[in-house]
This record gives sequence, C-alpha cells and structure tokens, in this order.
Amino acid sequence: MALLEVENLSLALALSGMLKPVVDNISFSVDAGDTLGIVGESGCGKSLTALAIMGLIADSPIRITGGAIRFEGRDLASISEAERRALMGDRMAMIFQEPMTSLNPVYRIGDQITESLGQHRKLSKKAARARAADLLRQVRIPDPEGRLDAYPHQLSGGMRQRVMIAMALACDPALLIADEPTTALDVTVQAQILDLLADLQEETGMAVMLISHDLGVIAENCKDVAVMYRGRIVEAASAADLFAAPRHPYTVGLLNSIPDPDADKDDLEAIPGRVPTIDEVIPGCAFHPRCAFAQDICRDVRPGDAIASKEHTALCHFPTGGAE
Amino acid sequence: MTAALATFNQVFRGRRLALLGVGWLIIVAIAVVFAPWLTPYDPLEIDPVARLTAPNAEHWFGTDHFGRDTLARCIYGARMALLIGLGAVVVSLVGGTLIGMLSAYFTRLGHVLMRVVDVAMAFPALLLALVLMTILDRSVTNTIFVIGIVYTTTTARILFGMTLKLKNEVFVDAAVVTGAGHPSVLFKHILPNLISPLLVQATFIFAFAQLQAAALDFLGLGLPPEIPSWGNMLAESRVYVTRASWLLMFPGALIILTVFSMNLVGDALRDAIDPRFKDDIAGV
Amino acid sequence: MFAYTIKRLLTLIPTLFAASVLVFAFIHLIPGDPVAVLLGDTATPEEIAALSAEMGLDEPIYIQYAYWLGNVMQGDLGRSIFFQEPVTRVIADGAETSILLALMTMVWIVVLGVPIGVIAATRHGGWIDQIASGGAMFAASIPTFWLGLYLILIFAVTLGWLPSSGFPSVFDDGGLANLRYLLLPSLTLAAPNSALIIRLVRASMLDVQREDHVRTARAKGLHPAKVALKHVFRNALVAVAAAFGFTFAALISEAVVTETVFSLPGIGRLVVESILRRDYPVIQGVVLVIVCLYLVINLIVDLAYAWLDPRVSLK
Repeated sequence: MALLEVENLSLALALSGMLKPVVDNISFSVDAGDTLGIVGESGCGKSLTALAIMGLIADSPIRITGGAIRFEGRDLASISEAERRALMGDRMAMIFQEPMTSLNPVYRIGDQITESLGQHRKLSKKAARARAADLLRQVRIPDPEGRLDAYPHQLSGGMRQRVMIAMALACDPALLIADEPTTALDVTVQAQILDLLADLQEETGMAVMLISHDLGVIAENCKDVAVMYRGRIVEAASAADLFAAPRHPYTVGLLNSIPDPDADKDDLEAIPGRVPTIDEVIPGCAFHPRCAFAQDICRDVRPGDAIASKEHTALCHFPTGGAE
Repeated sequence: MTAALATFNQVFRGRRLALLGVGWLIIVAIAVVFAPWLTPYDPLEIDPVARLTAPNAEHWFGTDHFGRDTLARCIYGARMALLIGLGAVVVSLVGGTLIGMLSAYFTRLGHVLMRVVDVAMAFPALLLALVLMTILDRSVTNTIFVIGIVYTTTTARILFGMTLKLKNEVFVDAAVVTGAGHPSVLFKHILPNLISPLLVQATFIFAFAQLQAAALDFLGLGLPPEIPSWGNMLAESRVYVTRASWLLMFPGALIILTVFSMNLVGDALRDAIDPRFKDDIAGV
Repeated sequence: MFAYTIKRLLTLIPTLFAASVLVFAFIHLIPGDPVAVLLGDTATPEEIAALSAEMGLDEPIYIQYAYWLGNVMQGDLGRSIFFQEPVTRVIADGAETSILLALMTMVWIVVLGVPIGVIAATRHGGWIDQIASGGAMFAASIPTFWLGLYLILIFAVTLGWLPSSGFPSVFDDGGLANLRYLLLPSLTLAAPNSALIIRLVRASMLDVQREDHVRTARAKGLHPAKVALKHVFRNALVAVAAAFGFTFAALISEAVVTETVFSLPGIGRLVVESILRRDYPVIQGVVLVIVCLYLVINLIVDLAYAWLDPRVSLK
C-alpha cells in the first residue's frame, strides 16, 4: 500500500465569488521510503498541491474541488480537524522555500524545535531539549547545544534551512514534503542541503516529496518524477526513464534548459514563451502555444490521460519516442 | 468624469458603511452652502420667551438658554466645522509637506529639521494646542493655526518617510540625469506620487481637527464664545445638561457623525492607495 | 541590551534640552514683562524687583536660561500666583488623581482593547470582526467630553449609581472604595484609546498572520488558538507595545478634558484652570513635567521594543 495516494485531485482558487481551477485532475502516489520529484515552472500548481496534502489551505482561498488525498490508507477529507492536526508535524512534515522568513524571529531555535515535540510526543522540557540538540547534530549543525539558544536572525540562510529540516524531522515523519528547499540558497549551499536530505532519508527511511522548478535538483535525488504544467501532470515516469527518454515536448524543453557543465554553451535553450496566467483560457493542449511540434489537433483537442503506457505516461498527442 | 466615477466605484465597492459616510458628508456640504435657506431662524437671535424649549414642531432641535434655535445653530455650525477642518488640513499639509520633503531630500537640512520635529512631538498634541492658545487670543484664525501646527509635525514625519522611499527610485535618478533641478525633482517628479497618500492623510486630519476644535471650545480656549460652533454649543450646554439634554445630544451627534464619516472615507481611501505608503498614514 | 539602554538614554538629552528651552521661552512669548507675567497683577514693585534680580533679567537671555535651569534642576519650578505655593507642591497635589486615573484607564484599555482586537483578527472578515472594527472606529470618533457628560447623565444623574464629580484621596475616609469616583472618568478616557488599540492589535495580527513562520507553526499541527496567541499575537505585540506607549503618553494630555468634565483635582484640570487664571508659573511647570514624562515613556517603549524583538537590540 502506498504511503500517500493522490487521486484525481483538483484545486481551485476562490476569488471574489468565482472558482478558478489551478490544479486539474492529478494523480500520483508515494511509497514508504521513496522519493517523488514534482517539477514545473512557478505557477504550475505544484506548491498548492503540496499545501493541500499538508493541510495548510484551511485559511486560504484554495479549495479542493475534486478527488481524494489518502495518507496511510486514510482519506484526509474524512477525518476531523483535530485528527488532521495530529498528523501534521508528526506523521507528515514540510519544509519551505524561504528559510529566512519561515522561522519565528522572536523565539529561540530550541523553543521552535521542541514545539512539535511538546505537541505530539508530550516530552518533558529537558528531554525535548536533548532531542532538539540531537536533531541539530543530525542536520550537521556545529555546536548544537549552543545553537539551541540562538535566534533565527543570528544564523545564515543555509543554517536556517537546516534548522527547518531539524524541526520537520523532530517526530520522525513518514513523509517529508520539501517545497523548493534550496531555491533561496546559494548554489554551494544548495548541494549541501540536498546531500543532507538524501543522507537523512537513508538514515530515517522516510518518504520525500521533493518539489522544484529545477529538473537538475530532481534528477539527482528522486526515484520517480512527475512533470507539471499549468495544473496538470503532463508526464510521469521513473527518473531513469524520464531522463533517458522524455516523451512530452515540455519535459524535453526542461531538460534542454538544464545547464550541463560538460556541454557547449550554445546547446542551452530555454523554452520559448512563458507560463500562461490562470486567467488565460487556452483551448486544446495548454502547452501548444509554446510547443514546436504543435499541430491542428493540439489547438483544438485536449490530450487525454491515457496516451502512453501505464509506467511512463505523457499527456501529449505526439509524444516523442512513442507512437510514431 | 467617467474616470472619476470608476475610481470612486473601485474605492467604495462593497463598503456600504463608507458610502453612508460619503452620504452624510454630502448632507453637511449642503448645509454649509444653503444654511440661510434651510432654516427660518437666525442662529444668533435671542428669544427670551422660548428659553430651553424641548424639541417641538417649531424648533425641531429645541432652543438653548437664550432661546436661540438649536437647529439653526447646528446648521451654521457646519460652516465652522468645515472651515476649521479645511484650514487645519491646509496649514498642516503645506507645512508638513515642505518640512518632510525637504528634510528627506536634503540630508543635512533634514538632520536639523527632523530634530526640531522630534522636539515638537515631545509635546502631546492637545497640550501643545493649549499652550499655544495661552499665548494667542481666541479667534477663528488662531484656532485653525494652532490645530494646523499640531498636525504639521505628524505630517512632516510621514512625508519624510515617504519621500525617502521615493528618493532612490529609478524615475528620480532619471530626472536628475536629464538635468532637472532640485525644485523640479521635488515638486514635479516626487510630489505627484505622494498626492493620493496626502489626500488620505487629509481626511484623517480633518476628522482629528473636529475633535481637537471641539475639545478646545469645551475648555474655553478655542473659538470665541459668540460663534455658533458645535463645540461651543456643547460647552454652553454643560450647565443645562440635566434640564435640556437635547442641547448635548444634537451638536454631539453631528460631530460624531462627521468625524466617523471622515474616518470611514479615509479608511476606504487608505486601502486603495499604493501599498508602500499604507503604513505611513497615521489614521484611526 | 545594556549598551542599547545607555545609547538610547544619551539620545534623550538633546531632546530634553531643546524642550526645556521651548518651555523657558514660553514665558517670554507672552506679551508683557515676564516678571509681571510670573507674579500676576497683584505683585508689588518690591516683589517685581526681587524676582527680576533672582531671574537675572538684566543679564543676557542665555544666562537667564541658565539660572532657570539651575532652579529646575534643584526642584524649584517657581511659585504659583493663584495658590501662593511652590509649583512643585501644586503639581504634587494633583499627581495622585492623575496617576490613578491613567492607571485605571490603561487597565480598561488592556482588558477591552487587546482581547477584542485579537478576536477580530482571528475572525477576519466575519461579522464579529466587522462589528469590532466598525465599533472601534465609531468610538474613536466620539469627543471625550461629550461621552463623559453622557455617562454622568446616565449613571450619576438618572440612575444614581456613581458619583458625578470630584475624587477624595484613597488615603482619606473610604480608602480604595473612593476609586469608584474614577470609574466613569477612566471609562470615558478609555473609550477612544481602546478603539485605537483594538484597530492596531487587529491590523498587526493580520500582518503577522500572513508571514511565512505562521505557516511553519501551523505545519507543526499546533491548535489554531495556540498559533494565534503564541506565534501571531506575540509577534504583533512588538508593534502594539509602541502603541501602548503612545496611548499612555496621550492620556496625559487627554486627561485635561476628562478631568475638567468630572471636576477631578488632577494635573489636567490644573493646566486648564491655570491657563484661565493666567497662572503662568504653574503652566510652565506642568508642561515641563508632562514633556519629561512623555519622553521617559517613549524611552521605556523603545526599551520594551528591544526586549520584545531580539533583532532590535543587536543592531
């Protein structure tokens, strides 16, 4: 049984009485201990999906308009708010894009890490503090006991993201959702954080859902990959298959835009055009205005879900390497 | 005109209370313009026979201890309210804008001027007004001037902050590069961007000025007692409160409605301006 | 924190100096001979000559200021024309009323303003929020003396529940029960100021609610009430603390009106009556005391700010 199953999930933004669809009928699953990468340009709906899974859309204009999210076999729509909170920070945890602002500036690091321990584990103050120091050690922060008394503004961005990871790991979650965990960091620090995540996953056996706009980040860290474009998963496959034989022109475009240190600079090409805003209505395939292979059918008919084989799906009328 | 209507619609859409506020301010404006035609009574005319009459068909708002018609005095009081409010807005906005903008633009001058503002702000608003009125005579001009001075300091602080934010914008650099002189940069390039926040600030100053003027009148340190202002009416009513509560109710209700309306309008306008300046405005 | 305190104390000195110059200059701005102004109409030529010598009126103005400042430093603010007593005595007599009134008002503001502001923010956009923020703006639009007169009319005249004026000291007969004399005045003074606090608490909480770290707190599975109090309100408190300082300082001068309405023997009414009696030494003394108090409160606010927000003191 999969740890997390997302089935036909649709999300919409409730703005001034209207519902604007932002995520359209997506399905994927994550097995215990596995890593799923979700990749796409900003605005494709990947972060909203993560927030919906985590249960952080309650006070926002985002609404679930269809489908189901099942975690450890339970439909998250069917459980109470209190049961939902009992999962958050305990069985599933999340780290965010902005380490600079994701920690509360007025509390010490130690207080913020022990908070979820007090919430879910009812540990004594002393035991929680010892556990917090262990966690800081686990995320490779030097002088962990001393850092417990530091305020967030006294740490660098990379350090703060390590603290965020330590906080997320506090209760040994089965699933860690990492939403663009390295985007706001320096390139050298990015690699360290990604290595750390991989190591921790090995140590703890948790599953990771890694969200990034950067296919390079996904490539190095994930077993399975889902590519999102404008609210839909346009291609899903194992990482090996996807990088070896991408089938959707959008994936091909993303791959071509990864800077490869060995290749010539000239080979690097960006996908033409831009991500359409949610207000734009695009008939047919949402990607066709930016697609080099678009034909008449792409402008009129929306590609269905089951075009290619089950293991490697691509939402495209003319998937490359497929049905020619 | 259609553009103005569109803006109005945008600011007040979904704000029923603020629209009611606009409605009330329009009524006050009508009272200001058409005062002599709205009431058959002279606000100063004494009628010893009709002293302290309760509201009735002849005197809708009753009469005061001299038998003067309260409604007539309330209507003429609107003129005073408008005069004091606008006067205080003009004094404080002109003074405050000059001090604030110059201080932000010329750093050295700013060091001196803003220290002066700091010192002036060490005097609580009403106390400063009281002390100034001690030195000055009770008159309309002096009341306007004193209330204006009090809010000049706040306005100067606000303008200082807003000008600093704009000073380093690209369009200001561009103006300097193309050879615009200091006055041109300040008044042609920076000031136009500050007009809408200033307008919002003006509504709040107008509202505060009403309360300050009423307080000064009540303490016997505002307008000369013979002038029919809402504050003076309340000050006179104090002695007769137990016998003639209408003398307290009507002018007070007018002040509250006017100040509340102005605050509501200011609040709606503040939500509509450039979000960078929203926190600078000192309103309710 | 210690270094910050010292630094902040040092910045107080120039402001205090400038303010004292203004207060000193005040007497000289009043038309007429300053000595005659200070002694009032009944002064004899001998008295005028004596005070002129004491003030050093034949000396240059800055020497006169030095004399005056020297006296102030020694606690001598001059003599009241009306009371024929030292100004410091006259001010001290009004201090009990004013301090107790301010404290009671602050209690109301905290008890009314903070919870209503917090609830309005957590129910953002709902009917409770609309009533609270609309009501707060309405309360801030009421002239305090009008509210005071109406409260007297209702609770003292009509219902007879509470006294309408005066305040016997809590050290006299009646003891702390005498505080009931301050109930209506403190409510009057609290109304517009609670309104400001409600709106400020609400606005600050809404600002903090949008910050990323609140999402982090919710992701820990904390109860919404805990998130609201521990993570939102605590952070909003930084801005609210400043408002408390401003409010307390504003109370000092707004008490002028309230004390007059309720005929309280406090410093506020002393100011008004001294102005009407042209008792200039008292006006000068009270203004100086209030300005010093105001600056000290602002200093305390700044220190509270640094204490509440760990980022401030380290800069």
